[in-house]
Amino acid sequence: MSALAGSPLAPTGPGRFLRNLDGLLLLSTGVLVLFGLVMVYSSTHVSPRPFLYVRSQALHLAVGLVVAGLILTFDYRALASSARVLYVVNLLLLGAVLVIGRTSLGAQRWISLGPLGQFQPSEIAKLVVVITLAKHLTDRPGPYPSVWALLPFLGHITIPMLLIFKQPDLGTAMVYGAILIGMLYAAGARRRDLATLGAVVMVLIPILWRFLKEYQRRRLLAFVHPTLDPLGSGYGIIQSKIAVGSGLAWGKGLFLGTQGVLRFVPEHHTDFIFSVIGEELGFVGAMVLLGLFLLWVYRGLRIAAVARDRFGALAAVGVVSMVAFHVFVNVGMTVGIMPITGIPLPFISYGGSALMTMVWATALLLNIGMRHQRVGMGFDASPAAAHLIRSMRGPERWEE
Amino acid sequence: MDREVFERRLTAVLAVISSLLLVLAVRLWQIQIVQGEYFLRQAEENRLRVTSVAAPRGLIKDRKGRPLTLNRPAFTVSILTTELRSPERVIPEVARKLGMPASEIYAKLEAAKDRPFEPVRLRRDVPKEAIAALEEDRLDLPGVLVQVEPVRDYLYGSLAVHLLGYLGEINDRDLATLRAQGYEAGELIGKDGVERIYDRYLKGRNGQIQAEVDAQGRPLRVLAKVAPTPGDTVTLGIDLDVQKAAEEALGSRVGAVVAMDPNDGAIVALASHPAFDPNLFATGITTAAWTRLLRDPLQPLLDRATQGGYPTGSVFKIVTATAALELKLVTPDTRFFCPGYYNLGGHIFHDHEAHGNINFLEGIAQSCNVVFWTLARPVGPEQLARYARMYGLAHATGIDLVEESPGIIPDPSWKARVWKQSWYAGDTLNSAVGQGYMLATPIQVARMLAAVANGGHLVTPHLVTEITTPQGRLVRRVAPPPAGEVRISPQTMAVLRAGLAAVVTRGTAASIQIQGLTVAGKTGTAENPHGKPHAWFAGYAPVESPRLVVAALVENVGFGAEFAAPIVQRVLQVAFGISPAPAPHP
Repeated sequence: MSALAGSPLAPTGPGRFLRNLDGLLLLSTGVLVLFGLVMVYSSTHVSPRPFLYVRSQALHLAVGLVVAGLILTFDYRALASSARVLYVVNLLLLGAVLVIGRTSLGAQRWISLGPLGQFQPSEIAKLVVVITLAKHLTDRPGPYPSVWALLPFLGHITIPMLLIFKQPDLGTAMVYGAILIGMLYAAGARRRDLATLGAVVMVLIPILWRFLKEYQRRRLLAFVHPTLDPLGSGYGIIQSKIAVGSGLAWGKGLFLGTQGVLRFVPEHHTDFIFSVIGEELGFVGAMVLLGLFLLWVYRGLRIAAVARDRFGALAAVGVVSMVAFHVFVNVGMTVGIMPITGIPLPFISYGGSALMTMVWATALLLNIGMRHQRVGMGFDASPAAAHLIRSMRGPERWEE
Repeated sequence: MDREVFERRLTAVLAVISSLLLVLAVRLWQIQIVQGEYFLRQAEENRLRVTSVAAPRGLIKDRKGRPLTLNRPAFTVSILTTELRSPERVIPEVARKLGMPASEIYAKLEAAKDRPFEPVRLRRDVPKEAIAALEEDRLDLPGVLVQVEPVRDYLYGSLAVHLLGYLGEINDRDLATLRAQGYEAGELIGKDGVERIYDRYLKGRNGQIQAEVDAQGRPLRVLAKVAPTPGDTVTLGIDLDVQKAAEEALGSRVGAVVAMDPNDGAIVALASHPAFDPNLFATGITTAAWTRLLRDPLQPLLDRATQGGYPTGSVFKIVTATAALELKLVTPDTRFFCPGYYNLGGHIFHDHEAHGNINFLEGIAQSCNVVFWTLARPVGPEQLARYARMYGLAHATGIDLVEESPGIIPDPSWKARVWKQSWYAGDTLNSAVGQGYMLATPIQVARMLAAVANGGHLVTPHLVTEITTPQGRLVRRVAPPPAGEVRISPQTMAVLRAGLAAVVTRGTAASIQIQGLTVAGKTGTAENPHGKPHAWFAGYAPVESPRLVVAALVENVGFGAEFAAPIVQRVLQVAFGISPAPAPHP
């Protein structure tokens, strides 16, 4: 595939690959997951079994890391060739949830794995869709002269999205929209067409609403207006804002928060874990966390920029879009600028399936990054991100 | 698409994401820095409090539906550690107002430190004056919680306490196993008697209140409320009137009375004296009161009816007579001569009087020891023990109470095992008249009499007859099957009944005849090393078709006929609604 395959410049052997691992991405991910473990402990330690949650989270992390290591051993392009199988398996798993899934908090998202615990296919499905959509966009390289040319890709995500929507997991379904927009844009779709697509979806939602059965609407409403809330009027949001706001600049100190611990904030170790972070570590801690995410996103996009092929570049963009959307919606929800949806904070929120998915997504990025086209190119740090990314580019056209 | 376009687009993506993060940063700046103080105040003032609402315990009623226990509302003072501020000031103040040492409060808080969300109960049933004093200073006592909780009210004080039982705070060990069944820390749980055995029915299900409270702990509004479900009603076979009669007849003497339906084993009265007031426990007993009860030499906590083992004295002659008749060693008319003593190889056993020329039936009626000493050796210790066990002695009866004593029926192998001594002929003589090593509980003696009364069925005594919901729907009927059969011939049974009837018509207990009611029974006067003999009487009525069996035991007073038989007489009078005959004028 690569024009440079076999040339003296091309990397050979696993040692070369490992040296090409993106250190900063690895570092930011490592800090984020450790930070997550600490915060999961902080939000659940006041209990007769203080290590119950953090132990489970650490166990999932360990399993996730082992699998992540395996992901690094093969060339990510193998994923492109098995995209069709992945897509079908993904749909089967999501369908299986509807049939045999376990109901949790009124939403059917889990498949029980017996002694191994539960498994939430909608989490890993996001990553699978990024891979299959990247392959799809590689197979139909464009240009995309009109909005009609984008419809196949809309169709690509609609089927898994509807399966998730039925569960009903509105938040996760929205993530697909973000992934699609991000990847289409990077793939070269016109801004105008993306705007049209967005507008059409906006119009479609009320129409779709009419086709839903009454109980499905109730479920969706219950999701948008979460049942976690005893007052039924944004109580969780108010409590979350109080928790975050009361952290002030420096926070109340690690493990010293009261709002999350006192159960004012619902789901304070999963979806609302940022409330605990904001309360205990304050504005400074929140900025550090957002900074870590920015670093992660920046390294992810850099990998997209240097990827050796269109598939890898688009997959990287998809992963970055997914994580960035999670961060924005999750944090936005806890500070009251986004509606409540069941979107976890990547790497941080308690929840094994989500944590493992994020770790594997990072492994995919690393895989793409360490097999990039020009080994050993220098990328010096510079405050100007745009300049930086431009400096990464190679002179040649990249294969399509 | 060329790489340059792609990279420009990546830059745009980075710009979009950066600006989204910037939006978050600005928002965080707004609520944490600009409005931070406001939210901090909100955080301090706004509290969500989840408290559980104790379910009223199920009632315990007698066989006629009269309640023996009720629940009354009372104030409970607790501390919510999550809301407690400046404990060094608040705790001594609360201790002073509740009249308890501060160290006790600290100990309770320490014991509950693993459960920060559950209120730690300091005292139940706090008097109104103390509550008023607490409420006055409410603003200065954050974290102090006053709740109204049901408190168990034992309507008749110490009446029937040994069967009703009492309550106490659940201990950590029980909590570990029972938490899954809805038990909570600090909760009261049955510690003895029916309260303990049937706790899971009586307990009910606690409710819950979620309330928003202000910084002073005052509820602002109730967010959600789940009402408690009261416990089920437990109906006993106890007849309140008979129970009262039994306890009054026992009076201040140390002993026990059991009244039971001989046909199904339902307990009609079960008294043990001395007793104690379970209301002491209903709110959590003080250490001092508990120590007093434990150290009392008369052991008021002991239920003598089911946990007290005594030699039965001549009541045991029922067993000896059964064995002799079944082994065809005697007939009712077999004649004996009683010179007032029995010579065992030069060792003289004294009887209480010389009965002279006497037949076997009269030997039962007059409780002639010489008759039974004469029969003892031909029957032998093994056969005596075998028949005793057939009557259910040396086995717990299986009554629905805890820690029942099984008693002892000795035989040579028992003596060899326990005392490492061989069995002497004197031991056999002692055994035949209910002396020596044997021990039996009043409930066992009552069951033995019941077996004679009902034709040989070894009933299982039980206090509870049915359990119903507060609305009256049947949950469970309690009717345990008999534990076994006493396999003896009808002829033997007839002789025994005739002998026991003769005891009251013309024998040792002739003084307790009741106008209009035929009574049969057996007296017992059990020598023991602790002082005067224990007085026994066990009998049933009416003789023709027995409906009630009563056993009475009085410790260390003297003759059974003199001290125990009148108690049984009184119980029978009340049970059968017969007013006592007017005292004869001197």
